[in-house]
Formats: sequence, C-alpha cells, structure tokens
Amino acid sequence: MSNENNQGVNYKKLANFALSNFVVIAFIVIFIASCFLSPAFLTKGNLMSVLIQNSIYAICAVGMLIIIITGGIDLATGSFVCITVCLTAGFIQSGRGIASVVIVLLMALGLGACSGMMVAFLNIAPFIATLAMTTILKGAAYMYQTGQSRRIDGTFLPNWVKGYSFGIPNPVIVMIIVYLVFLFVLNRTKFGRGIYAIGGNMETAHLAGIPVKLYLVISYALGGLCFAIGGVLLCGRLGMGTATVGDGYEMDAIASVVIGGASMSGGTGSVTKTIIGAMLMGVLYNIMNLMGIASYPQMIVKGIVIILAVLLYKRK
Amino acid sequence: MDCGCRTAVLRNTDNTCECRKFSGIRQIRNTTGDAAMSNEYAVEMKGIIKKFGGLIAVNDVNFSVKHGEIHALCGENGAGKSTLMNVLTGRFPASSYKGDILLNGEKVHISSPGDARRHKVTIVHQELELIPELSIAENIFLSDQPTTPTGINWKEIYSRAREILNGFSLNLNVKTKIKYLSVGQQQLVEIAKAIYHGGNVLILDEPTAPLTGREIDFLMEMIEKLRETGISIIYITHRLEEVFRIADRVSVMRDGTMIDTFDVKSISADELVASMVGRKMENLYPDMETTPGDVTLEISDYSVPHPDYPTNIVDHVSMSFRAGEIVGISGLLGAGRTELMSAVVGAYKMKGKGTIKLNGKEVKFRNPSAAIKSGIGYVTEDRKNTGLILGQTIRFNTSLASLDRILKGGIVSPSTEKGIVGELKNRLRIKTESIENAASSLSGGNQQKVVLAKWLATNPSILILDEPTRGVDVGARYEIYTIMKELASQGVTIIMISSDLLEVIGMSDRVYVMYEGKLQGELQKEDINEDTIMRYAAGIA
Repeated sequence: MSNENNQGVNYKKLANFALSNFVVIAFIVIFIASCFLSPAFLTKGNLMSVLIQNSIYAICAVGMLIIIITGGIDLATGSFVCITVCLTAGFIQSGRGIASVVIVLLMALGLGACSGMMVAFLNIAPFIATLAMTTILKGAAYMYQTGQSRRIDGTFLPNWVKGYSFGIPNPVIVMIIVYLVFLFVLNRTKFGRGIYAIGGNMETAHLAGIPVKLYLVISYALGGLCFAIGGVLLCGRLGMGTATVGDGYEMDAIASVVIGGASMSGGTGSVTKTIIGAMLMGVLYNIMNLMGIASYPQMIVKGIVIILAVLLYKRK
Repeated sequence: MDCGCRTAVLRNTDNTCECRKFSGIRQIRNTTGDAAMSNEYAVEMKGIIKKFGGLIAVNDVNFSVKHGEIHALCGENGAGKSTLMNVLTGRFPASSYKGDILLNGEKVHISSPGDARRHKVTIVHQELELIPELSIAENIFLSDQPTTPTGINWKEIYSRAREILNGFSLNLNVKTKIKYLSVGQQQLVEIAKAIYHGGNVLILDEPTAPLTGREIDFLMEMIEKLRETGISIIYITHRLEEVFRIADRVSVMRDGTMIDTFDVKSISADELVASMVGRKMENLYPDMETTPGDVTLEISDYSVPHPDYPTNIVDHVSMSFRAGEIVGISGLLGAGRTELMSAVVGAYKMKGKGTIKLNGKEVKFRNPSAAIKSGIGYVTEDRKNTGLILGQTIRFNTSLASLDRILKGGIVSPSTEKGIVGELKNRLRIKTESIENAASSLSGGNQQKVVLAKWLATNPSILILDEPTRGVDVGARYEIYTIMKELASQGVTIIMISSDLLEVIGMSDRVYVMYEGKLQGELQKEDINEDTIMRYAAGIA
C-alpha cells in the first residue's frame, strides 16, 4: 500500500517535472526527430545558421520576458527593431562609427523608459501604451528613412556580425552575454526579486517596500535595450537600414516566452526556458524549410505549438 | 441605516427597528420543509473517505445535520472541514471519494456542483464569487434573469433585488457595482444571493471572517430567522463565541477525522477548544507581562481625506504608542482604523494631514518603503491580496520586505536567505516540508505566519497588525499571540487593529476605539471590557 503510494507520488513528481520542463524535452525531441527527417539538418553549417538567425529572436524574447514577468507586455518590439536598424545604419553612414551603436542602444533604453513611465506613472494599460509606441516608432522610422539609401556594407558592423570569436558566431556570443546578464539580474538582484513580486501581486510588492514604479520603468527600458540589441545585429546582417523590417517580432517574442512557460499574467518565467523556447521555434522552422514545407503551413504549425505549450503548462 | 438601525443591533439596546424585517426572505422561503420532514436528518454523510494522492484528507467521517438546525463545524485549519463540505457540494466526482450521502433519508449521488444544486445544497465560500464589474442586482440574478419577450426584465430584477436586500436590512443601491462595496457588504450580498437561490441545506464557510460588529449581528439574526423557515445550516467557523451564540449542535474535526458532535448547551468553551486542538488549552491568550517604555510613535491631529467624498475618512485623530506596549485599535468596519494606519505608513491612496513623530522626531512616510526603513512593519488585513504573493515560495515571500538583509555586495545571497527564512520558519512554527513550497499550499494560519515572518525579517521596532488572526485556527492564533507578546517584551511597539473583541480584550495593554473616522475613546488596561468598547464603537459613549 505504502509502496504503491510512493510510486504514485514519484510518478506525479516526474509528471510535474516533465510538465515544468516541457520546453526542454520538446526541444530535445524535435531536435532528434529533425536529425532523422532531413540529412541536411545535422550539419555544422545548418546548425550555425539556425543559431545565428535565432539569436536575434532570442534576445528580443528575453526583453519581452522581463516585461511579461512584471505582468505587462510590450507590443513595440518590432518597431524598436525597425527604428534601431534605420538609425544604426544612418549613424554609421554619417561616420559616427562604433559610437552609433552606443547612441542607438541608449536611445532605445530611453524610449523603453518612456513606455514604462506611461505604464507606471500615467497608469496606461501596457497593451495600449506599447501599442501607441509601436506606431510612433514605426512612423518615426519611415520619416527618418525617406528617400535615403542606407547601405553600410563593408563597415565594421556587418563585418563583425558575420564574424566569429572563439569559433562562435558573434551574434551568438551577444545572445549568450544577454542570457548570462539577465540570468544574473533576475535571480540574484533586488531588481529581479522585485519584478517577480510586482508581477505576482503588485499591491503586496508595494507594501513590502519594493519601488514598484521605478522597477516598472527599468523593466520597459531593459526591454527596449534588448530589442535594440536585436535591431543592431539585424542591421549588421542586412548590411543596410530599412524601415520595412521588424514586423511580427513581438509575436515571436511573446510566443517564445509563453512556450518557455511564463504566465501572461506575470510573476513567473525563466530566461533559460525562454531562450530554449526561441530556439525550439527556430529549429521547427528550419526543419520544415528543409523538408520543403511552404511558409503558410509553417504559420499554422507555429500556432498549434503555442496552443499545445500553454495547454501542457496549464496541466501542471 | 438612516432609520436608526445602527444602534438597534447593539446589545442591550432596543430591538424594534424597522430594518429588521425579513419579509423578503420569508416570501422566498415559504416552500421549504414540506415533504422533507419524513426523516429526522436533512443531511447524513456516512463513512466518507477522501484522499489526495497518498494523503488522507477525510478519514471515515460520519456527519449528520437535522432539519432546521444550525450545525457548527469546527476544527483547526487543515482538519478536513472544507474537504468534507466540498464532497457534499459536488466539488469532487463521486468516484474520487468513498462513502454515502443521504439527503432526507434518501441516498443521493453527488458528483458535480450541478448535482448539489439540484438537491438544494448550497455553499457560500470564503472566497467571494461575485463579479466586481457587475451590479448587486446583476450578480444576484446572474444565472437566471427574469425575461420579457424582448429581453431581460430589468424592472423585475431591480425590484426583486431590492426586496432581497431589504430582507437583509442592507441599505444599498442595487445598481451599485460590487467593486464599490466593502468586503463585509460583499459577503452579505453573497449570502443573500445564495439564500435567495435557495437550498434546504445552506453551508456557510466562515461567513463572519470579513465582517465586523454590526454586520455580524445582522448575519447572526438572519441565520436564526432562516432556521425558523426550516433550512438546515452548516456553519463553519473558528470563532467559538459564534458557535455558542447561534448553533444548536457542533461537530469537531481534527486531522481528517470526526472527533465528536456535541449539543452546544452541554459543552463549555474550554472543552470545545480542547477537543479542537487535541490538548487542553488553559488560556486563549498567553500570559506574559510587558512593561511599556518610552513613546515611540505619536500621531497628532491626523486626518485622511475620503477618496470619493469631500469628507475625512480619518478625522483629527491623535494617538501615541509606547515601546513594549500592545495597543488595540477597535471599532466597527468603516471606522477608519485601517485607513489611519495605512496612511501613516504611506500605504493609503490618499495622503494624510497632521504630524507623525517617531521617537520624538517629526517624520513623513511617502511610501511603505520609507516606513520599513524607519523600522515600521505593517501586516495588512487581507493576506491573500496584500500580504502574500500566493504563487511564489515561502522563501520568496518571507524575504520580500527585507531584501537588503539578504544582499551581499548588492547580490542576493541564497545561503543568507535560507538561513534567515529557515530560522523564522522554526520560530513561528510554520508547518511545511520545505520553504520552497508555494505560499498557496499552506493553510490560512500558516499563510498568516508567513506574512508575520516577512515583517519579523525586517526587525521592526514598531509592528502594526491589521486583523492578525482573521481566518486563523485556534492553535495558530495562540502562537501568533505568543509572538506578539514576545516582541512586546523585547521592546517592540505592537499596534493591533482588530474587530475581534475578545482578542482586543485578551491582548491589549491599552485600547483606542474609533467611530466614523474619529477617536471615540481611550481605555486603560483596567477599563477594557466588551461593553465599554462596544459603546464607544457605536458612538453612544
């Protein structure tokens, strides 16, 4: 009897473990399945290109995660990426060199803080505040871009983005740094504790002395910074500035965060699982491409994966 | 309320107020109890066994309720009361528990909330199930609106809702949204709704937990009237005074088993407590001498504007508190006690006017963070919404207000944190396997201890506790009281807002009583008694 019970408990523990690490298991399963589905999958070239391609998505997803943990959302991801691409190319063209990147990242930090202030001090719902930010930034990007050719081939940025350090593609290095920094920030700083608390119960957090408004502003600023890092990398990959990029990045970022097990109502979420979530989507796209599946059915599969992930987490 | 029923419900006063008519309820209830009387018992539960995984929550319990009786169900948190009632109300499928349920002597199959409803068994949960954005009337008629050929018959909804509220002496506009009501008022609406939709068996799960003086009196009377109509009421409560006040019989559960059922007339409070906790409890309040020291907190001429009306919700109040002293703040719901204290620590949405002196120096706390830095802790009254982050671990919740203490060079130190939290867990005897369990997994008493632990972790020199034992079982209560006394003996200033008169009397060295935002009276130790407090609280002394 007691033995039976123990087994029951163990089984339950195992099931719970599997559910809370669904994204890891799913990633491994899809990865192994992909090896069999296409001979082109498990090649260094293919895997590297998947990594490089998805490092930008993963970095954006980390930014989104920070904001989703606070119980908010940022719909302006794509517009952040878009305006960053335009401005970076523009600044590099006008000869500012590496300073362009620094300026652009600082601007994004400030713009993110603006979203945060709208949410924290003006009490505008995050959905609305960032929706407004989406069209403001997109409009600004088009205005800046008008009639200009902003090719930056041959400058330091495209060269660096295409390059490798220690045998690892530079964009992947950036992703790893972003990952490590935010892993530390979320788990080992007062700020990290604070935003989990804010997302879990804002009133309780406030009463416990957490500077709720300040942390909200910082969260959106850090989100903007992540999106901008993604944008700078994208600019380097494209070798030009254009206002036609970035659409749908917010949806991919949200999908990665959700597949990574975070709750949209806030208070939960892990950087590791979010990155794996982003990579899972990337591998899925890649194998479907290799198998010759057209892009429209791919979109349907993406939707189904999101639903499946959410359903599984719900069962926990 | 304007007809004077505020005073009418107080003890020792005139009982003839018009507000107390129960005509609405009578009309609704006139069909109960006709065919039902063939059997002595309205409810019989036999040999109920319910397990969760390997854990036995209810073990072979027999429980029966007579027609037209008020049957109190007591026991510490986690004793299995709620599980037993969840079985009765169809929370679990019939296959997941063992045993038989008989209603009016007939064996019934209850496997879903719908089954329970069909058999006229209704429960009012502790967690309110009203929709905040809808009006009182809309909430009452949520599931079955009267209609006309062209749609919902609003006229009828409003007039019937008005009738129901009148039956409950609730002087509220039925079009008011639920979110604008106090918790106490919401509770009464919820009960009114449940009774209206009816049942032969009504289960009330700690209905008075969010209520205070006047409202409790209303409720008690209402329940007694309901008994006259033949309804059987199962009354889950921690408050023994309520058991003795209204119940006919009382059943006690402990550790998943039914200990015994008593006639209320034949048992004393001490015996009842002893059977609940499984040991003799000499005193409900720890006997510990404290000696008041210097004045630590002084509030003078303090006012807080009402958030909605151009009046003061706290009106020119002056109070002072000493080190090592436990000061009770008593009064009815809405007297401004919570507003006063939360405004003082900068946690209220409106800013207060007046002077606050901390150890003789004038201070002003712009937000709770500033108050915490000055050594003031504030245990709020609503642990689920303002005290805890339920989804997070006990560890996370405990260290939340004292994050600076667990930082080493600006970085969170997990080992320091575990040390502090583990020590508090042992000191407060929080019952849990691991501090990594979610706060939501704990019973009410243990949740309250986690909130207390969170504030103790800040090493406060002044600790404000708002309803510190609401919804907490007898055993845990005693432990919380002991901690409060210990803190006081170490020189901490304890300010306790409480609606539990016995608690105020049992714990306080001094009591302030508030009435409608004003300080109505200050009672020294020897003057503290139920009668005096109630008179001040009602504004008649």
